[in-house]
Amino acid sequence: MEKQTEPSSVYEVFVQRDHLDPMIHVGSLLAPTSELALQLARENFTRREQVLQIWVVPRIHIQSAEEADFHAREMDRSYREVSGYTENGRLWRMFKEKEITLEEIVRYVEQKKQSKNDLHREEGHES
Amino acid sequence: MDSQLLEEEFVKRVQSGAKIESNDWMPDGYRHLLIKLIHMHAVSEIMGVYPEKEWVPKAPNLRRKLALMAKVQDEMGHGQLLLRIVEDLAAPYGKGREELLDDLVEGKVKFHNVFHMEARTWADAGLIGWLIDGAAIINQASLLSTSYAPYARILKRICAEESFHMQHGENVILSIAMGTDKQRKMLQDSLNYWWYSLLFFFGPLETTPAAQKMLHYRIRTKTNEELRQKFLAKYVPRIWSLGLTIPDPTLHYDSKEERWYYTEPEWKTFQKIVSENKGPKSQERIALRRFAQDQHKWVRLAMTTEV
Ligand SMILES: [Fe+2]
Ligand SMILES: [Fe+2]
Repeated sequence: MEKQTEPSSVYEVFVQRDHLDPMIHVGSLLAPTSELALQLARENFTRREQVLQIWVVPRIHIQSAEEADFHAREMDRSYREVSGYTENGRLWRMFKEKEITLEEIVRYVEQKKQSKNDLHREEGHES
Repeated sequence: MDSQLLEEEFVKRVQSGAKIESNDWMPDGYRHLLIKLIHMHAVSEIMGVYPEKEWVPKAPNLRRKLALMAKVQDEMGHGQLLLRIVEDLAAPYGKGREELLDDLVEGKVKFHNVFHMEARTWADAGLIGWLIDGAAIINQASLLSTSYAPYARILKRICAEESFHMQHGENVILSIAMGTDKQRKMLQDSLNYWWYSLLFFFGPLETTPAAQKMLHYRIRTKTNEELRQKFLAKYVPRIWSLGLTIPDPTLHYDSKEERWYYTEPEWKTFQKIVSENKGPKSQERIALRRFAQDQHKWVRLAMTTEV
């Protein structure tokens, strides 16, 4: 008797390219089991690209928001966004200071030594 | 391979920049240090909500109230994201969310000294956003390069949200600084109250054995003092530009030695606040936390019981 094959089902495929990156959705495929889905995902999506990790998730296990207004913004939310505080730059200049961004702080913390520029700036304030 | 060899191999890998995932093999010492560090980070985010939430009903206008609530929501979110990381690490010890939160109300896990202090005035609330979040951002930015990848990924997200906290805090402070004499006096008083707590926040000058171990495993890549120096370099000029006086006459930058000199905080006094929960607000806030934990038990049960 012929062996009954499982019907294929849809798997969503995610890859992670670097340890500091999140898993990113790259597409989907058809496979009868999750082991085969993983094999196919490797062949379909990472033939050239070097990735750290692949996930395959049966589509039926994914819950997504169906109603369009699930993501609706009922009111202005600029109070919780950086863009709601653009006046800070102008206000700092009134105090003869520059505005500062988070990105600038992150760069500054990561760097080994203070750059000449920073040092110069700090010195200027010492009076 | 015996564990000695495994450990050496592991250290070689992290020291050459490798990142570790939660399912990778790791030495017990590495796991313990991560649990300790991230557990403290997580509960500090949660306890950090208290001084600010106290000001939600008293915020001067609706926009400030909304912003403060948004920030409180963010910090609670940070606490939850970080607890997830600890849960994965502590799973081999059978420790989950309940136990990790119980540790907080039972005084078994410490939280940052600044969150034991009182937010007395609106200027205090603003200064927390500006300088406490500022100090926390410096600390968190330095951890972006940690060898433990799940922590690094979450910190990336946390830092992105901190960017709003930073702008919000500055905005509150700038408007007080442009206010009346009375308001400026309130701001100066706030700086006086918080200054040494801020210096203490970065931890002791000497590199303790635990801190040394964290550097060894690349869990951290910067010392306490390096971070304190970075904080001073970025924030002191801005504090001065507002016309405020830092309550430390010895504070100055030595351009030859390329470092800031300052009067050290009273280490013992502050240490007692953190290790024995003996700050002005420690007991009251822990009691509130315990109350919330009891009151919300049915919600947690509903969320964890399978239907
Ligand atoms: Fe936070
Ligand atoms: Fe924050």
